[in-house]
Amino acid sequence: MIHYEQFVLDNGLTVFVHEDDSTPMAAVNILYNVGSRDEDPARTGFAHLFEHLMFGGSQHIPSYDEPLQKVGGENNAFTSPDITNYYITLPAANLETAFWLESDRMMSLSFDPQVLDVQQKVVIEEFKQRYLNQPYGDVWLKLRPLAYKDHPYRWATIGKDISHIEHATLDDVRAFFFKYYLPNNANLVVAGNVTVEQVKQLCEKWFAPIPAGPAYVRQLPAEVTQTEARHEEVSAKVPLDALYKVWHMPGRFQPGYHTADLLSDMLGRGKSSRLYQRLLRDNPLFSNIGAYNTASLDPGLLIVQGTLNEGVSLEEADAAVTAIIQEFIDQKVSDDELSKVKNQAEATLAFSEVELLNRAMNLAYAANAGDPELVNKEAELIQAITADDVQNTARQVLRPDNCSTLFYRRSDEVAA
Amino acid sequence: MILDRTQPPAFQAIQEVRLPSLDAFTLDNGVVLNLISVPNQPVLRLECIFDAGTWHEQAPTSAFFALKMLSEGTPGRTSAQLSEYFDGYGAFLELNSGPDRSSVVVYCLTKFLPAVLPVLCEMITESTFPQKELDDLRNITTQNLRVNYEKNAYLAGVLFRAKVFGPTHPYGRSQNPEAVDQLTRADVTAFYERAIKNRPFQVLLAGQATAIEVEQINRTLGQLPIQHTQLDDVSLPALPNDMMPTLAEKEDSVQSSIRVGRRLFTRTHPDFFKMLVTNEVLGGYFGSRLMKNIREEKGFTYGISSNMPSFRRDGYFLIGTDVKRENTQETLDEVHKEIRRLQTEPVEADELNTVKNFMAGEFVGSLNTPFEIADRYKVILFDGLPADFLTTYIQRIRAVSADDILAMTNQYLNADQLQEVVVGGK
Repeated sequence: MIHYEQFVLDNGLTVFVHEDDSTPMAAVNILYNVGSRDEDPARTGFAHLFEHLMFGGSQHIPSYDEPLQKVGGENNAFTSPDITNYYITLPAANLETAFWLESDRMMSLSFDPQVLDVQQKVVIEEFKQRYLNQPYGDVWLKLRPLAYKDHPYRWATIGKDISHIEHATLDDVRAFFFKYYLPNNANLVVAGNVTVEQVKQLCEKWFAPIPAGPAYVRQLPAEVTQTEARHEEVSAKVPLDALYKVWHMPGRFQPGYHTADLLSDMLGRGKSSRLYQRLLRDNPLFSNIGAYNTASLDPGLLIVQGTLNEGVSLEEADAAVTAIIQEFIDQKVSDDELSKVKNQAEATLAFSEVELLNRAMNLAYAANAGDPELVNKEAELIQAITADDVQNTARQVLRPDNCSTLFYRRSDEVAA
Repeated sequence: MILDRTQPPAFQAIQEVRLPSLDAFTLDNGVVLNLISVPNQPVLRLECIFDAGTWHEQAPTSAFFALKMLSEGTPGRTSAQLSEYFDGYGAFLELNSGPDRSSVVVYCLTKFLPAVLPVLCEMITESTFPQKELDDLRNITTQNLRVNYEKNAYLAGVLFRAKVFGPTHPYGRSQNPEAVDQLTRADVTAFYERAIKNRPFQVLLAGQATAIEVEQINRTLGQLPIQHTQLDDVSLPALPNDMMPTLAEKEDSVQSSIRVGRRLFTRTHPDFFKMLVTNEVLGGYFGSRLMKNIREEKGFTYGISSNMPSFRRDGYFLIGTDVKRENTQETLDEVHKEIRRLQTEPVEADELNTVKNFMAGEFVGSLNTPFEIADRYKVILFDGLPADFLTTYIQRIRAVSADDILAMTNQYLNADQLQEVVVGGK
């Protein structure tokens, strides 16, 4: 349970305060309602590149990191298909430093061409380090366009291609900033050893003077319902063949999400899961297998992935996974199995609220999705799920014609 | 009044850290339970920590297998039943083997602790090590290693530790497919019999836990038979002196993974805090000299950092990065240039102050959850550090001077003392 108070500034910035005086620290989280799904298909990777630029100095403050380090604070940020999130943890006594820094970069960046130039290089190295220079690193660059044909989830947050990052200009950067980095397109969560009164005063002082901008109205193409199974094969120098199967499922806060989430847990979370017990232990086709979901705000994906044992064919492994999937469609799950994944979900939720910063982020994420109270309703929603719900969801989500399959083959060059 | 946004707000430098106390209880069988009671969420972490790491292995990788196999069978339960049991309560089991210690760890909702404890006891005292499960685990481990050895950064770490301590030293050797292949069931059970079963251990309990949970633990783990005999010391190979750079050529790599460093010392060494601050200035945080130069000025990499991994009996220093292949040599040159700057020019007061404030804030911020606090206490409980190590941490950092950093870099970081590994290409 995360308790909080909220208020809205005249410029539209929504603020949440979660008081916790058991810690000497404060967490400050700013979520901007823009992610890679909002990008121009011809300029992908931009939201993430932009996140890097947010650390390159703002209108009145040449360096973002150093003043924060000086007061004992740490910060980072991440970009997802849905949002861009910036966070600071610092000694609560130095809270105002976070307000000074975050409000200045919400007001305006420095737009320094040198910063753009260097960060383009850094992001290109990040692209290589994470997606190209790792075995199976490029798998999401292949899976996204296979599973999504219409919705912008069809490209990865890092971008479709390195050339998109290379071609970004300072004009693009300015336009992006003034379209999305607005107080009325963000939420602020302040958590820890702080008071609501103190946060209100600091918000009035630092954030209230920032002008609102035209509201961003998101109009993304919805993914057209998939009606035919899709299949693709790639080969690369990897040590083992790997199988990836994905199905469209409801978005993070949409009806049916938690049921599909529990379904993926029954399939492939932990050693007692069906895929592990049946296809790794009993009939060892895989050396590694699991299931999870993307938990995206718009309809996401349920994923089964595994690496195959030597001598097992991808066709055989795929057929075995498909047979286990079919069981969820044909038969109701037992009460024991359902109670197991509910207990796992309850524990995961409780553990996710141990860390102050996580509580702040969970709150920010729910608020951005439309209702902060969603963060405190999850436990109840999960407990209410029945075996019938699971079977219905399996029938909707795990349909063969809702599935995309990728065979990731080891190329012959590395047979030795 | 118009707000002057160029002026930073006033701030306070952190001078001290307040930690929840560690309450120690002695269970009926003499096992010590250390409790960190922080009731913010209805969860806890229970760790049974054995003096049984790779340091005590007679056969390489036997500690890893002995620990992982604990959940693979007891006289009353099969592997599948054991995982079904823990998963059924939403409890997460971790079976870790580190260089110095091994641990059986459970994360669970506090309400399920009584259900979990008896099975934990079974695993610790009655594990059966079935052959089929051992073969499965061997296969899984080998396949995972094959994937990991394809990663430049992973391979660079393996090669670097072997270079510093030697490939057979407990701190220098890494799990590899050959060792996994050669390991027998007898090797695994021998480690279990010698280092886990009926051996003394300590319990570290953190989270929402009180006298009630302590009593539950006493009635279970507190009744296990314990034999207090000394473990035989393992014989150590001589340390190598391999100063030749290693290049593992990877034709297809678009990046090189670089490691530069040397053997150093433990946390008990008188120079530990001086080196800790030196390390921070050089590559310990986002604003470090290396990050500024290699990432923020040159854009050769997504990240570069330096570290001081410290064990109970030894430690090392290393700088690590993945860089654009074409910039490999230039990066190495710049690394040495940054070290030379630290050897010749005193760090300015402003920068040193920032580093110390950052380290103090990071330290306090790393004590946010009961689990993090418990982890920090481990160096006192197990590595022989004094009881005030954590409470004096910040003042010891504050005591380090610019002259100390000059002295440290000149004593420990000369070019002819540093070893180098590159995976990729130069």
